Amino acid sequence: MALPPSLRVSFSPQELELIACEELVEIIPLIAMEKTAFISGAYGPLRPPNKAKVPLWMAMNLKLKKKCHIVAPDWLSVEYLQDKLLQETNAEGFSALPLRFAEMSKVLLDVAAEDIPNSDKVRSLLKDIREVRQAKSRDGLKKIDHIELSLANLCAMEINEIRPFYTRAMDVLTHLARSPIADV
Amino acid sequence: MDDDYYSIDSILAENQKIQCTFKVDIPDLGHLDGGHERDIKALSKIQLPLWMTYILIFSDYADFTVPAPFSSRVKNALNAECKSVRLSALVGAGASWYAFGKIVMRLLAQDAARDMGAVLTTAFRERLLEVIDQAQHFAALGHIGGAGQSNDTAAAFREGLDATERELFALAQDSARSTKQWYESTDRGRR
Amino acid sequence: MAERDHALLESEDALLQSASPLANGLGVTDTPLQQLIRQWQNERYAPEILAGHEAALNVLLDHIRRQSDTIQHLRNDPGSSEDEHFRIMLAQTEIERVKFVVRSYIRTRLHKIEQHARLIVDTPGLQGRLSQTELNHAQRRFAKLTETYFHMSVLQALPEDQRGLDDDAAFVPPMIPEPNRSHSVFVHAREDCPPVPLPDSNFLTMRKGLIVLTPYSVIEPLLADGSIELV
Repeated sequence: MALPPSLRVSFSPQELELIACEELVEIIPLIAMEKTAFISGAYGPLRPPNKAKVPLWMAMNLKLKKKCHIVAPDWLSVEYLQDKLLQETNAEGFSALPLRFAEMSKVLLDVAAEDIPNSDKVRSLLKDIREVRQAKSRDGLKKIDHIELSLANLCAMEINEIRPFYTRAMDVLTHLARSPIADV
Repeated sequence: MDDDYYSIDSILAENQKIQCTFKVDIPDLGHLDGGHERDIKALSKIQLPLWMTYILIFSDYADFTVPAPFSSRVKNALNAECKSVRLSALVGAGASWYAFGKIVMRLLAQDAARDMGAVLTTAFRERLLEVIDQAQHFAALGHIGGAGQSNDTAAAFREGLDATERELFALAQDSARSTKQWYESTDRGRR
Repeated sequence: MAERDHALLESEDALLQSASPLANGLGVTDTPLQQLIRQWQNERYAPEILAGHEAALNVLLDHIRRQSDTIQHLRNDPGSSEDEHFRIMLAQTEIERVKFVVRSYIRTRLHKIEQHARLIVDTPGLQGRLSQTELNHAQRRFAKLTETYFHMSVLQALPEDQRGLDDDAAFVPPMIPEPNRSHSVFVHAREDCPPVPLPDSNFLTMRKGLIVLTPYSVIEPLLADGSIELV
């Protein structure tokens, strides 16, 4: 009623994107703006061509109106991602990536691809990384029981995708493991 | 698959019948199995719904036979090739083999209950991977399709899923689909 | 004109004051918005209603009101510059974001309160987690409403001793549904955590940064002090 069924088991990817857009990114503003008090904090002043840190939602807004360039975060580069892909393929477990890297990279590549060096290569590396990690998360399913499962370094979007059936499967196993109620 | 008083699924699951063998004579209830006798005689076998059996068994008025979906034949089949067993055929379309099994577990003595629990849990965990794999595959395809002989086995498996597994299939498929749609969406046209 | 230009700035100090970190027990500081976002996530994933965060909520609602007022002034001012226009647009965008989170947070709580209205009404310990408005809704409107509906549609046709809505009979689940506290949740440790007992008599010790899937009841004690968050 108050909450639609699909949202009772998970966030929507769009909601995760909204949360991720609070993260700060660096921009090169093309307009000037005085230091301004927003609800989440004070941002600016924007004095081109000096870099400034603003929340991702603000950066996207400005970028879409062609009022800034984005400075790609360190982790959104070919070198960094190639390294991570290597780690993913050579080691068990998940490599450490920023918790909201999927949401942030999607937004940045969508709106500011021209500001990201080698954006096509970056996109393809992200896809590869995603696929390797998805294959690994199948192993997590094999280990699932009604007690606990450690999933170090899983990122927000990945957790969100597996959440509905992982938690339901655990609920079923908990139900099966519960000792029969002796009601006499 | 829950302990909710208002759960329709639980109510329906408890309506399933099992065979009970009465240990004592019960006067005037001979109509329970549609029979013509006025009384139930000791040692007679009657099919009764699960919700009625709890008190009879705990009060030691009757014993029950482990129902067919959990017979040794089924257990052996699960041991041999878990994913080939059609659980939906055992309990009927729309019913949950696991939920039924859990209810039966409550009637069993401790050791037997533990064994049954192990059978249910093992089957669930082994089949789970296949359920999720197929669900994610279907989310990617968007429709029934794909070539190759593995398709028949896959289709057979899907038809054999019980209600609990179907629910998990749907959860995995929906989740994969909405995530995929999000990855493919774009904001560029919006503003 | 000048004073209007600075409308978005003059309250800056005040805003910075209240936007400034609210310390929690960890010594890690969050803005009210960050706090609410975290609480929103916790509330969405937890099977039972959590303690309400009226303080942070009210701070934010206040912010929203003041920002909206400022924007109104600036929009009605014919002398607003193009730059001003930008700030207005950004402030409006942010307001919509915050309103979305606030609304979703309140809806999530409402959903759980309605699910467990009867239980909340019967359990003083749970009532402390609700705001007065939420409590009123649970007591007067929802619990009473459902009871009346059941009574009118079914119960009044049953024998008197079969009309109860709080029976706890043998072999049957209790009539007043309780939240499933064994429901599994994904937990992220924000700090090193003390060990907590698991259902199999082992212990779970979470180091900072760890992500674990485990029953809600296992980690519930850690949730209150903010050392973990649900993800």
